[in-house]
Amino acid sequence: MESGGAGITEEQARNRFQLELEFVQCLANPNYLNFLAQRGILRDRSFINYLKYLLYWKEPEYAKFLKYPHCLHMLELLQYEHFRKELVNAQCAKFIDEQQLLHWQHYSRKRMRLQQALAEQTQAQPQTAPPHGNAAAK
Amino acid sequence: KKVNMAAAEKSTKERLLSVLDDLEVLSRELIEMLALSRSQKMPQPGEDTQILELLVQRDKEFQELMEVAQQQGKVHQEMQLLEKEVEKRDSDIQQLQKQLKEAEHILATAVYQAKEKLKSIERARKGSISSEEIIKYAHRISASNAVCAPLNWVPGDPRRPYPTDLEMRSGMLGHMANLSTNGVNGHLPGDALAAGRLPDVLTPHYPWQSSDVSVGMLPPHHGNDFGLEPPGHNKENEDDVEAMSTDSSSSSSDSD
Repeated sequence: MESGGAGITEEQARNRFQLELEFVQCLANPNYLNFLAQRGILRDRSFINYLKYLLYWKEPEYAKFLKYPHCLHMLELLQYEHFRKELVNAQCAKFIDEQQLLHWQHYSRKRMRLQQALAEQTQAQPQTAPPHGNAAAK
Repeated sequence: KKVNMAAAEKSTKERLLSVLDDLEVLSRELIEMLALSRSQKMPQPGEDTQILELLVQRDKEFQELMEVAQQQGKVHQEMQLLEKEVEKRDSDIQQLQKQLKEAEHILATAVYQAKEKLKSIERARKGSISSEEIIKYAHRISASNAVCAPLNWVPGDPRRPYPTDLEMRSGMLGHMANLSTNGVNGHLPGDALAAGRLPDVLTPHYPWQSSDVSVGMLPPHHGNDFGLEPPGHNKENEDDVEAMSTDSSSSSSDSD
C-alpha cells in the first residue's frame, strides 16, 4: 500500500471514507461528545473546521450510508460554539442522552398506544357489529 | 383685450388706450379752439384743419386697432379651445400611463411568482430520490433500531440510538494506532477509542461501519484546511483495514 506519495489510491480513499463515516456517527453519542469536550478538543480551531467539513454527510448520496441518523442533528448542533461549550458539562451530556433516548422510544410508545387502542376497539366492537346476514341495506 | 404681445411692442390694449387718449386730447383741443374762436379770431389759421386731420387719422387708427383686437380675440378663443383639447389629451395620456403601470406591476408580479415556482420545481427535482432507495434506507435504519427503540426495550438494555463504546472501539477508528501527537490533531482521537482495543480477529463487524462503498465514492476534498493529516498508515492498520475492506457487503441484508 502506498503511503500517499503520488495521489490518492483507491484504498486510501476508501479508508478515509470509512473513517469519516465511523467518526461522524460517533457524534451521535452524547457521552462521547462530552468526552471530547472535556479534553478541549471541541475548542480546537482545526477540529471545528473539520466539523464543518463533515457536513457533507447531510447530502443524500452520503447520508444513505449512515446507520445512526441522529449524528446529523448532533453535527448541526456542533456547528454552534454555544453548544460546544455546554458539552463540557456532564449534566448537559446526560440530559441530552436522556432526551435522545426518550425520543428514540417515542415511536415505539406511540405504536404501543395505537395497538392498545386498536385492541380495545376490537373488544368493544362485537356487540355493536350487525349480524352478517343483513345485506338488505344495499 | 388682454393679449400680450412681445415685450418690444406695445400690446394692443395699450395702443388702443393710447389712441383713445390721443383722441381725447385732440377732441378737447378742437373743442377749446372752437370755444375760443367764438370769442376771438383764429390765432393759427390752419390749426383747426390740422387738428381735424389728426382726429380723423387717429380715428382711423382706432378703427384699425379695433379690427386687430377682434382678430386677436378670435385667435385667443381658438387658443383656448386648443388648450382644452390639449388638456383632454394630457389626461388621456395620464390615464393610459396609470393603466400601463398597473399592467406592468401585475405582469412583474406574475413573472416573479412564476420564477419562484420554477425555482422550487428545480429544487424539488434536485432533491428527488428513488423510492426504492428510500425504502432500503428506511429499512436499514429501522430494522437495526437506530431510530426507533425496540419494542421490548427497558432501562438496562445496552442498545442505543448511537454507536456504543464497544462498537466504536471495534471500528476502524478504534484500531488506529495511538497517534503520538498531543492527541489533538483534529482527526479524531484514535487515542480515545484505542483505549480498549479488541483483538483484531475477534472484531465483530457492525453494519454501521461497512457500507456498499462504490469505488468512485470519495469524501469531498479537504486538503489541509483544518490542519488535518490523512489517516496514518502504519503496519498495524494495514492488516485491519484489509480485513474490513474485503467485507463490504450490501448493507440492506444486515439488519443487526
